Amino acid sequence: MQLSLITALALLVLTAVGFLAGRSRALALAEKDGSRLHSLPGYHGYYVALWAGLPGFAVLAAYALAGTMIVNTIVLDRMERAAEPLQARYELALANDDIWSEAEREIARLDDEMAALRGEAEQVIAAEGVQSDAVEALRARQDELQFAQDDARFTRDARANTIAGDIIQAVPEAGDHALARAGFEFARLPVQEREVFLADARALAFGDGLASRDTPELRATAGALQPVHSAIAWGACLGALGLALAGLAFARTHLAVRFRARNRVEWVISATLALASLIAILTTLGIVFSLLFESLRFFAAIDWRVADFLFGTQWSPQTAIRPGQIGQSGSFGAVPLFAGTALITLIAMMVAAPVGLFAAIYLSEYADSRVRAWAKPALEILAGVPTVVYGFFALLTVGPLLRDFALFLGYEDAVTQSALSAGLVMGVMIIPFVSSLSDDVINAVPQSLRDGAYAMGATKSETIRHVVFPAALPGIVGALLLAVSRAVGETMIVVMAAGQAANLTANPLESVTTITVQIVTLLTGDQEFNSPKTLSAFALGLVLFVLTLILNIIALRVVQSYREKYD
Amino acid sequence: MADSAAPAHTAKTVYHSVANTHPVKVAASGVEVFYADKQALHGINLDIQDRSVTAFIGPSGCGKSTFLRCINRMNDTIDTARVAGSIRIDDEEINDRAVDPVLLRARVGMVFQKPNPFPKSIYDNVAYGPRIHGLASGKDELDAIVETSLKKAGLWDEVADRLDQPGNSLSGGQQQRLVIARAIAVNPEVILMDEPCSALDPIATARIEELIDELRENYCLIIVTHSMAQAARVSQMTAFFHLGHLVEYGPTEEIFTNPRDRRTQDYITGRFG
Ligand SMILES: Nc1ncnc2c1ncn2[C@@H]1O[C@H](COP(=O)(O)OP(=O)(O)O)[C@@H](O)[C@H]1O
Ligand SMILES: [Mg+2]
Repeated sequence: MQLSLITALALLVLTAVGFLAGRSRALALAEKDGSRLHSLPGYHGYYVALWAGLPGFAVLAAYALAGTMIVNTIVLDRMERAAEPLQARYELALANDDIWSEAEREIARLDDEMAALRGEAEQVIAAEGVQSDAVEALRARQDELQFAQDDARFTRDARANTIAGDIIQAVPEAGDHALARAGFEFARLPVQEREVFLADARALAFGDGLASRDTPELRATAGALQPVHSAIAWGACLGALGLALAGLAFARTHLAVRFRARNRVEWVISATLALASLIAILTTLGIVFSLLFESLRFFAAIDWRVADFLFGTQWSPQTAIRPGQIGQSGSFGAVPLFAGTALITLIAMMVAAPVGLFAAIYLSEYADSRVRAWAKPALEILAGVPTVVYGFFALLTVGPLLRDFALFLGYEDAVTQSALSAGLVMGVMIIPFVSSLSDDVINAVPQSLRDGAYAMGATKSETIRHVVFPAALPGIVGALLLAVSRAVGETMIVVMAAGQAANLTANPLESVTTITVQIVTLLTGDQEFNSPKTLSAFALGLVLFVLTLILNIIALRVVQSYREKYD
Repeated sequence: MADSAAPAHTAKTVYHSVANTHPVKVAASGVEVFYADKQALHGINLDIQDRSVTAFIGPSGCGKSTFLRCINRMNDTIDTARVAGSIRIDDEEINDRAVDPVLLRARVGMVFQKPNPFPKSIYDNVAYGPRIHGLASGKDELDAIVETSLKKAGLWDEVADRLDQPGNSLSGGQQQRLVIARAIAVNPEVILMDEPCSALDPIATARIEELIDELRENYCLIIVTHSMAQAARVSQMTAFFHLGHLVEYGPTEEIFTNPRDRRTQDYITGRFG
C-alpha cells in the first residue's frame, strides 16, 4: 500500500518533469530553428507529460484492481499442488470406508425414491387436485424420505471429517508439509468459508484487518502469500516507474518544430471523454446482464414455469422452502404485485395528471411573469422533497386520516396502510414532474398558433382548449408516460405506506404490495442467496426494468416526433 | 431622438392628394404605441380606403407590424404593450372599452408571416371561426361556408378531395391560402396581412398576390411587405414608415415614382433598410 502510494507520488513528479522538459525542449527547438512551432510550447509539455504519466498510472491501476487476485491465484495454485498427495490418500480412504460408502449409496437411493414420488404426485395432482387427501399422504411421505436423507448426509459428512482428521494428524506441522495441510483444508472448505480463510491468511500476512483464527495452516498460507505479494508489488511499481521514464524519454525525442503536439493532446482528451461515456454504458450493460442472468437462474429454479410467474395469482415466496416440494407451485405468481403496482400508479396518476397539467397551463398561459417567477421554483421544490419524507407523510398523516374517514363512512375493514394513501401521496410527489414537463411542451407550441387563434376572435380559454392543447397533446402524453414510469418504479412511499400483503384486489382501501416493495422485502434481512425466493427479486427487477424501459421509449418517441414537427 | 419630443400631431407626414374613389374604412389618428417604456409608434394619422389594397413599407423595426396589430387590437395580447390614440372602423371607435376585442377580430381578419394552420384537419381549420362565432346553423351551412371560403382563397380545387387531412400536411403556399380561407370564413370587413409571402417561394408568392388582387373586390386589405416590388404590384395606396413615424402616404404609383420625403426616396432607391 505504502509502496504504491510512493510510486504514485513519484509518477506525479515524473509527469510534472515531463511537462517542463517537453516545454523547454520545444522552446529550445524553436529558438534554434528560428521558425514558428506548429503547437504552442505548452502542448509539447502536455504531450510529454501524458507519455510520462499515462502508462505508469495504467500499470498502477491494473495492479490495484487485479494485484490481490493474482497473488491469491498463484498461492492457491501452489497450495493445491502441495496438497495433491494428501487429497489422493483421502479419496482412497473414503472409497475403502464401508460406513461412508454405505451412506453415499443410501443418499442416492433416497434421491431416486423421491423422484419417483414426485412423478406419482404429479399424476395424483392432475387427477384429484392439490387439496386431496392422497396428495397430503404423498407430501407426508416425502417429508419422511427427506428426513432420512438428511440423516444419511449427516452420517456421511461426519465420517468424511473423521477420515480427513486422521490424514491431517499423520502429517507433520512444519515446513512444506504445513502448506500441504493448508491446501487440503482449504479444498474441503465450503465456498463461502474459503473467503474467510483467505481473509484470515491475508490478515496474518499483511496485518490488514484482524484474523478471526490463528492456526498453523493459516500461518503457512500467510507465509506463502508474503513473498509472492512483495514480488508482484515491487514488479508493478518498478515497472510503472520504468515505463514512465521510458515514455518521457521516448516522447521527448518526438518533439520537433513541425510536430503536431496540439492534435495529439486533443486526441487524448477526446479518448478520455469517450472512455468516460464507455464506462457509463458498460456499467448499465453490466447491471442489465446481471439482472438477466440472475433472472434466468430464478426461472431455472422454478423449472422454467415462466407463465406461472407472469400470470399466477398467488404470491407467497416464503412457503417454497425446498425446491421440488410437492404442491407448492404457484407461490411465485406475480400478478398480485403487478395489479398492486397498477392500482397505486392509477391512483397517483389520477392525482398528478389533472393537477400537474392544470398547473402547467396556468403557469404557461395565465400567470403573469411575477407569479411565474416564484410559482415555478416553488413547484420544483416539491420535486426536491426526499421520497422518504413523502413516505412517512403517507404513513403517519394521510393513512390514518383516510382510515378514520372510511371508518366514519361505515367501512369496517379500513386499514392504515392502503393503496389509496400510498397512491395519493405518490401522486403529489409526481405533480411537479408532470407540470414541469408539460410546461416545457406547452411553451414549445409556437406563439404564431396562439396569435392565429386570437386573430380569429377566439378567447383565451378557447385558444388553449382548441389550439394549444391539441398541438401540445403528443408531448403531454409523453410527459404523462414518463410520469407513469416514475410511479411504477417508486419504492420508498409504497414500502412505507402501502403495506406488504399480496392481495389481488381493486379496492383502494385495502393493503396491496408492489413489485418494488417485494424486491425490498425479498432482499433485506438474512437471506440465502441461492434460494428461488431471493432470486425471484431479480426476476421482478427484470420485469420492472423492461416495463419502465418500454414506457420511456414510447414516451421519448412521442415527445421527439412532436419536437420535430415544430422545430 | 429629437423627434420623439415633438407633439404627436405635428409629425411632418407627407400626404399626397388622393382621388377618393372609395369610402374610408379605417381611420387612425394620433396612434401611439409603447412597449413598456419604449415608444414604437409616434402619432400616426392615416385614413385607409375600403375595397383596395394598402401597403405598409419601411425598414424592419419601424413599427409596421405594430400598427397593423392596432387595427385588430392584437396588441392587447402583449402584456407590455400600451396603445393610445383613436382608430375608427366605419366611424366606430375600436379602442373604446365597450368594444369586445374578440368580436372585433371577427370583423378584422389577420394573416401572419409564417403560415400557422391549427393542428386540425383542413375542414376544421376553415370551420373554426364560424364555429366559435356561431355563424352556421347546421352542417350543410357550415359545409357551404367552408367551400366558398376555400374557393375564394383559390384552394378548393387542390384540397376538395382531402378536407379531412391535417392542415399542416399542405405545402407552405397552400397553408398560407388555407389561413386566408380561414380568415375569410368569418366574413370579415378588413383583412390584415403581415408579410404574408416572406416565407414562400416565388411561385406560391405569385399565387397569393393574384389572390390579394381578387379579394380587393370585396374587402379592405392592408398588407405589410418588405418587398417594394410586391407593394408596387398589389397595392393601390402605400404608407412608408420610418423609426415609428409615418413618413409619407399616398397612391402607390406616386410614392414610387415621385416620393417627396428624402427618407422615402432613400428607401425606395435602396439606400437603406
Ligand atoms: N412584443 C414586443 N415587445 C417589445 N418590443 C417590441 C415588441 N414587438 C415589437 N417591438 C419593438 O417595436 C418596434 C417595432 O416593431 P415591429 O412593429 O415589429 O416592426 P416591423 O414590423 O416594422 O419590422 C421594434 O423596435 C421592436 O423591437
Ligand atoms: Mg414585422
